[in-house]
Amino acid sequence: MVQSVKSTPSTWCPGCGDFGTLASVRNAAKEVGIPPHEEVLVGGIGCSGGIHNFLDVNGIHALHGRLLAQAIGVKLANPKLTVIAAGGDGDGYAIGMGHFMHAFKKNVSILYIVMNNETYGLTKGQASPTSQLGFEGNVENPFDAILTALSIPAPNFIARTFSGDPRTMTQVFVEALKFNRENRGFAFVEDLSPCVTYNDTFKEWRQKVVDVAKLPGYDATDRKAMFRLCLETMDSGKIPIGVMHRPAPAVTTPNALELKLLPDLVGPAAADIGLAANLPAYQKLLKGAA
Amino acid sequence: MSTSASQTGPLPTGSGPAGTRAPKELSDLAVMIGGQGGDGTLTVSDLLGRYFLRRGLYVYTSRNVLSRIRGGHADACIRACREVTAAVKPEVDLLVGFDNEAVELGRKELSSDGAIIYDSSVFQLDLPNAYGFPFATLVGGQVGQPIYKNTAAYGAISVMMGFDPQLTREVIEARFTRRGPEALEKNLKALEIGRKAALERAGVADRWKVLAGDAKDQVLTIGNQAVALGFVVGGGRFFAGYPITPATEVMEYLMRYLPAFHGVVRQAEDELAAINMVIGASYAGARVMTSTSGPGLSLMTEGIGHASTAELPVVIADCQRVGPSTGEPTRHEQSDLSHLANLGHGEYPRFILAPGTVDDCFQLTVDALNLAEHWRLPVILLLDQALCQNTVSAPPYDLSKVRVEPGLRLSAEKLNALEQYKYYQFTPDGPSPYTPPGTPGVIAQVTGNEHDEWGHVSVNPTNRNRMMDKRMGKMVHARDQLPGPRMYGDPKAKVGFIGFGSTWGPIREAQETLRQGGVGTNFFQARTLFPVQTHTLSPFLESVDVAYVVEHNYTGQYARLIREALPQHHAKLHSILKYDGHSFRSPEILRAMKGA
Repeated sequence: MVQSVKSTPSTWCPGCGDFGTLASVRNAAKEVGIPPHEEVLVGGIGCSGGIHNFLDVNGIHALHGRLLAQAIGVKLANPKLTVIAAGGDGDGYAIGMGHFMHAFKKNVSILYIVMNNETYGLTKGQASPTSQLGFEGNVENPFDAILTALSIPAPNFIARTFSGDPRTMTQVFVEALKFNRENRGFAFVEDLSPCVTYNDTFKEWRQKVVDVAKLPGYDATDRKAMFRLCLETMDSGKIPIGVMHRPAPAVTTPNALELKLLPDLVGPAAADIGLAANLPAYQKLLKGAA
Repeated sequence: MSTSASQTGPLPTGSGPAGTRAPKELSDLAVMIGGQGGDGTLTVSDLLGRYFLRRGLYVYTSRNVLSRIRGGHADACIRACREVTAAVKPEVDLLVGFDNEAVELGRKELSSDGAIIYDSSVFQLDLPNAYGFPFATLVGGQVGQPIYKNTAAYGAISVMMGFDPQLTREVIEARFTRRGPEALEKNLKALEIGRKAALERAGVADRWKVLAGDAKDQVLTIGNQAVALGFVVGGGRFFAGYPITPATEVMEYLMRYLPAFHGVVRQAEDELAAINMVIGASYAGARVMTSTSGPGLSLMTEGIGHASTAELPVVIADCQRVGPSTGEPTRHEQSDLSHLANLGHGEYPRFILAPGTVDDCFQLTVDALNLAEHWRLPVILLLDQALCQNTVSAPPYDLSKVRVEPGLRLSAEKLNALEQYKYYQFTPDGPSPYTPPGTPGVIAQVTGNEHDEWGHVSVNPTNRNRMMDKRMGKMVHARDQLPGPRMYGDPKAKVGFIGFGSTWGPIREAQETLRQGGVGTNFFQARTLFPVQTHTLSPFLESVDVAYVVEHNYTGQYARLIREALPQHHAKLHSILKYDGHSFRSPEILRAMKGA
């Protein structure tokens, strides 16, 4: 057996919400049955982005904010891999916002987990795009990723979880990963993952989270209903969590981009690029280009 | 098969009426066609190109367009020649103007015995050798739509230049048959309207006779197409880009070519995403490329540094235009070299290759893929607007020199023979053997942070030094294996030229003029610009007394790189520079040499 890279001990503060996310990612992958060599974890920059180092799977440590572009590149090059992108709220909603919006639109079957702690922990507690008004002098209105995700009319899987409830989180990840592995499209899960050092919201969030599935009118196939449920929950001072959008399987044409581009799921990485195999086609191409 | 479209009946095909002088024979000619964007100037130049190709001539067409969809001055200048050329002819023989602005701009380049054909339904000219024909009015009246005025102008040109009438017509058929019978019929009508008008005017017919050449099997192509084709045959299968002039055609061609080969082309949301998507695809094991121009290159700089440090192969085609900032999007320059040689924060290896001709674009794209794959780093293909977009006749691209080299990818057998698989294993010359994710039994960690052999983040000073040596050493170890220069002229000459990219054409022309005047020269066409090829530049500079470094930028960027690497030859280097947005005409090089 060839020895390859092993995970390192985590560098997070004791009690960090990201431990819940890490355990859930590990457990969900195990439950779904993803072989480690077929799993690629693309980490962002920031505390949470180090997650790929703490798991025994393939990892890329991407540039700040660019993890989605890299993860989409991996998946489109080899659609047989299970690709998870994971990073923080600064990485995803500030520097990476452009790529974030387009990921829904592209609808490539990868799982994107944002560990949202409403602060920049690694640089010692500045306000982030999701910080509440007044946090560290923040005068900008907080961004809500779930409302944004629901506003993009694409058949994505959308959910929010809470690190204080790792069991539910694992279930959501399992569903999201299955969604991906059936090539049904992009899955986005925002995990509320408190920073115990600079913004310890564990107690507050535990009191505020509301499982939308238990609310009257819950229907994860109805984008409009879910948008209203989320807004009403937020207006009442609570935080909606749970599966927010669960699109019905595609009937005729596939939803996921990789299936539209590569119907046989043989992608660029597996293509035979040898000259011998392609010679007649190349000759035709060069002649036709004339 | 031709249709019965022409309603005008046969016209006389011999020398026109009132031919008072013998036609002047042309073996090297230029026609400039100008007007407003939307006047169809490019169609006229395309038709002429097809005609000249059929007459065995080599063709080179430069375009002068503005960064807007419609309107604004646009012109195309087509050269046809019995010798291979990739340069704009210094003087124009025939100027065709659809508006007054086109004539005012084009007249500056008209030769002393040149002629002007213009649309007199739009404006009037009182100039000797200017022939007005009311193309728009005539075509509007007889065909119903004045937009076919450009085909009428092609008809008039064909008469003035003594074209073969049958071949002239076949060109129309070849171009418009696929547009349907109605379009073909209207164009054939317009052609005859233009021919008739020209034949009826004294002094127009057979002003010139274009001599046939012996060029065979030439096709019209552009550098951007060559890059796209080279990418496919070099094994490239993943491309992501963002539209930008003058690079966009690379993506557009690949959108047509790649899907047949399990390939993927994505238009990204910006250049940041484009470079990062190709980085991800490269990690997954695909051969990848992106193409861009200056402003996009600035955005990609972050990703290129990441790819080099993470040791992931990427090819970046930089189709240079006038900079800085958004500069002049449609105009020609070679001013990204200094940026590319020093690209990004921190220090990391990269190769910069610069093709000089379209066949070189094809070959060096293949080479770039192989080099990136083997050395596990970014390779930049440095192109320029003239090379990317000017149409040139060339033989069909040649597969015989194409090789798809496997690089350091581990076979299952070799992988299983290892005790340890380290993505960043130290090796004598830098790059490490690898296997893409998905390979049973092994995993890997890849990062742009400083890392140890396993891919674990590391700030250990000893490791840092070794990793810097591993990566930076690639430029030392690879230097002699990178594409060498092409040499042209007299190896014993004491006058040298150094150039890269599309200056190939004007420099070759300047060399020929000098040769005819008894001055031998030697031309070092650099094809690898970075790392600086001291092992080939040094003997070249030893051999000459003076070397003119011809570049399209303000500061002499390549000359500066050479001076830094070979300070002992400092005094021999003289820069000939142009940065007005237009490519060199060979007399400009000759004049600059006199002034140097």
